Amino acid sequence: MSEQQTPPRQAGNSNGQNDVTHFGFRNVPKSQKASQVAEVFHSVAGKYDLMNDLMSMGIHRLWKRFTIELSGVRPGHQVLDIAGGTGDLTMKFSDLVGPSGKVVLADINASMLQVGRSRLTDRGYAGNIEYVQADAEHLPFPDNNFNAVSIAFGLRNVTDKDQALRDMTRALKPGGKLMVLEFSKPTNPLLSKAYDAYSFSALPLMGQLIAGDSESYKYLAESIRMHPDQETLKGMMENAGLVNCKYYNMTGGIVALHVGIKP
Amino acid sequence: MFPGPTVLSAVTAILESALNRALELDPAGHQALMEALAGPVQLNITDPITFTYTLDRAGKRVRVGSQPVEQPALEITGKPIAFAALATGDDRVFADGRLQVTGDTALAHQLQRALNQLEPDWEAAMARHIGDVPAHFLGQRIRGALRWSRQAFHSLNASIEEYVHEESRSLPGRRELEATFADIDELSLRTERLEARLTLIENHGKTDEPENL
Repeated sequence: MSEQQTPPRQAGNSNGQNDVTHFGFRNVPKSQKASQVAEVFHSVAGKYDLMNDLMSMGIHRLWKRFTIELSGVRPGHQVLDIAGGTGDLTMKFSDLVGPSGKVVLADINASMLQVGRSRLTDRGYAGNIEYVQADAEHLPFPDNNFNAVSIAFGLRNVTDKDQALRDMTRALKPGGKLMVLEFSKPTNPLLSKAYDAYSFSALPLMGQLIAGDSESYKYLAESIRMHPDQETLKGMMENAGLVNCKYYNMTGGIVALHVGIKP
Repeated sequence: MFPGPTVLSAVTAILESALNRALELDPAGHQALMEALAGPVQLNITDPITFTYTLDRAGKRVRVGSQPVEQPALEITGKPIAFAALATGDDRVFADGRLQVTGDTALAHQLQRALNQLEPDWEAAMARHIGDVPAHFLGQRIRGALRWSRQAFHSLNASIEEYVHEESRSLPGRRELEATFADIDELSLRTERLEARLTLIENHGKTDEPENL
C-alpha cells in the first residue's frame, strides 16, 4: 500500500474529534460528508451501471440476486430499497410483490434517483413503485411500515451509520428483515492483496477512461477500506435492535450480505 | 462453505435463464407450468452433494432460487438421476419412491404433467437467427436424425434380445421366464396358504385342551 492508500485513524474516536467523519481516507466535518458524497454520485450517475458491470466484471448482479433470494419477499409485501440508485433491486422486488404490493425506491441523490426512475419506467416498471428522495438517517416513513428494507452499496456513504440502522429498524414491521449488501473485508490474505492492487490502480483508471472521473473511483476504493468489517457491522445491527443477525461472505468476503430481523 | 453464494447465484441465474427461454418457445407449456407453480416448489437434491433449489413464479417468469423457502407448497426430495427422469417424462418416479414428496401430491402430478407436455419450438428460435428456410431445413434434418436414432436404438435392442434368446440360447426367452415366474409366484402363494392352515390346525389343537385341569 502506498502512503496515499494508508487509512487514517478512525475519526471521532480520539482527540475529541466528534464532529468529523471520514470521507475516503480523509477526515471531513460531518456536516460536509453528505454533500461531498452527493458530488461523487452526481458525477458518476450517468455511467453508474456501465461502471458497475466493468468494475465487478458483472458479478454485482449475482450479489444482488442472492440478496433478493434471501429477502423472502412475497406478493403483497411492502419493501423499501434505500440508496436504490439505478433500481437493480427495486426491479426484482417489483416483480416479487406484484400489483398488490409496493416498493419504495429511496435515494438521497436526485441524479441517481432520476436515472433510476427513467430506467425503470423505460423497462415498463410502474404501478407498484414509488420514488422518494430521502436520507437514510432520517427516513420519512412511519414506524412498522415495511416487510423488508434493503440497502445495497449505500451504507458506507452514510455519515452516521448507527443512526441509519436504527431508523431502518424503526421503519420495519415486527418480523421484517433488514438486508445490508456492502463491500467488506476479504477473508483470504492473498485475495486481499490482489483486491487492493486492483482497487487502487485499476478502478481509478477505469473511472478516468469511462466516466471521465478518477477521483470518484479513488473515493470508492478508500471508502470500502473505511467501512466496518463483517463482525463490526453485525454488532452495529444488533445494537440497532435487530435479532438473528448474520452475514454471508460473497466472493471471498469482498462483499458481505448482512441480514437481521426486527423482533 | 462450497459452493458459496456467488457460485450458487450464478448456477440459479443460468438455470432460470435457460428455463425461461425454453418456456418462451412453448406458450401452452409455459401456461401449464405457471399453473403448477401456484406456490413455491422446493427441490432437495440429496446425492452426491446436498443442494436445495426452488421454483417460483415472479410475474410471467419462473424464478429459480438456491435458498429454502419458508412455506413451500410442495417439496420433492431425491437423487439427481431421479429428477432427470422426472424431467424426461418418466411417470413412475413418484410411485416407485425414487422421489419423495412432501406437501400437495396433486400439485406434484400437475408439475409432472406440465413438464411432460413441455415441447419448446426450437425451430422458431433458430429461425429468428438464421431465417425461416435454413431453420426449417436444419429442423427437418435434426428431427430425421432423432427419429432414425430412436428407431436404430429399438432395432438394436430387438436384435440383441433375439440373438441372446433365440440363437445363442444363453438366456431363456421372455415368455418362458414369465411362465416360470408365474409358477414361482403360485408356489409361494400356496406355501403361504399351507403355512396358514397348519398354524390354524395347531392353534385349534391347543384350544381343544380342557381349560381347568
